[in-house]
Amino acid sequence: MIDSGSTDEALLAGMAVGDQAAAVVFVRRYQRRVFGLAYSMTNDASVSEEVAQEALIRVWRHAPVFDHRRGSVTSWVLTITRNLTIDALRMRRAVPTDPDDFAASAMMSLEHNPEDAVLRGDVSDVVRAALAELPPEQRRAVILAAVYGRTALEISEEEGIPLGTAKTRIRTGLIRLRGAVEHSREIGEER
Amino acid sequence: MTDDQQQCDPYSENLAELALGILTGRARAATLAHVDSCAHCAEELEQLSRAADAVVSVAPELEPTVGFEVRLFNRMGLGDGPVPVPALDQGRRGPFRLVAGAPRWALASAAAVVALLVGLSIGWSIGSPSGSAHPTEAVAAVATAALKEHGNTVGTVATYGGATPWVVMTLDDSSAYGTLTCEVVTDNGVTHRIGTFSATYGHAAWDAPLKVAPQDVRKAEVVSANGTVIATASLS
Repeated sequence: MIDSGSTDEALLAGMAVGDQAAAVVFVRRYQRRVFGLAYSMTNDASVSEEVAQEALIRVWRHAPVFDHRRGSVTSWVLTITRNLTIDALRMRRAVPTDPDDFAASAMMSLEHNPEDAVLRGDVSDVVRAALAELPPEQRRAVILAAVYGRTALEISEEEGIPLGTAKTRIRTGLIRLRGAVEHSREIGEER
Repeated sequence: MTDDQQQCDPYSENLAELALGILTGRARAATLAHVDSCAHCAEELEQLSRAADAVVSVAPELEPTVGFEVRLFNRMGLGDGPVPVPALDQGRRGPFRLVAGAPRWALASAAAVVALLVGLSIGWSIGSPSGSAHPTEAVAAVATAALKEHGNTVGTVATYGGATPWVVMTLDDSSAYGTLTCEVVTDNGVTHRIGTFSATYGHAAWDAPLKVAPQDVRKAEVVSANGTVIATASLS
């Protein structure tokens, strides 16, 4: 039976067979994350609502094809949202939120200290803390690539830096984040 | 340096960009081909991909515009009209979840939606938790009242009945800030603590399961952290 304690995978399975209750629980579980991501990228409420609605409708429609072996439900939903937001920004030729502002709002929502986040297995907080530790130029490059989908060439042009420097910032920054995420996973597996 | 490492070198520098989905052209094709035949780089790519995926998860949660669910469920073909908000996912949602820094437009629209809902008989045809067809249920506001602070209206309270009674409250331009408690007083004089929430610069909009029969509620209060009653609404 579907209820508020059902796993994401169970809810998606329910949605795949047209279970309306599963859809309601899923929407209520994810709407703030989806809307929050879109708003953080656009700083535009109406665009964010459009994107968030479309993202959740796509999840609802595509639930039957979700493959848990390719990643978590959260990653899937947020990636759909991210891509739709990038599309919306391009279509409107709108200026996205500055990566520094995106990072600042993310780090403001860090509710616990990093060690607590690791112990709780909260990957979002682990990454928030790891982002805060990155040198600003690496943090900016990683966010431009991971959130806004900018290529190394685009980052080099936008930031006015050599292509090699952009690549190094992206790579070094992501490797550091990987360290934090994998450390968190190891702690989680030991528990 | 081993032969294996030398073999990986031209490709390992591309793995981060591949994980981020921003590697293009020949570099992408060549790196993918190498990863297919190199367990070490495949593992590296998997780890980097987890980190890349996690970056989008750092965005803060934000409460969407009031009415978001209604519009969404209608588009999904799940309902003919507005849907009671707190019905099914109370455990995760948490009573009175208000996201700090919620944009002003969200708070303003909350009041508008409360006004819209009051007095309306709202059709609700969302499926039940068991997934069976839910009969359309008329859910109307049982009562609505202004929240008063020192005689001035600073917000609205509306209670709703139906299978899952709930309360909707908004605060605007009040002196309230920080963590607040919502209490209701029932006919028998008993005070019931409904939950806590946060106000930013005197503004808040939230909803929560009512816990008591809405027709028994006579008064709703917003109480500060030190126990001071900040605003009161009489529902009779």
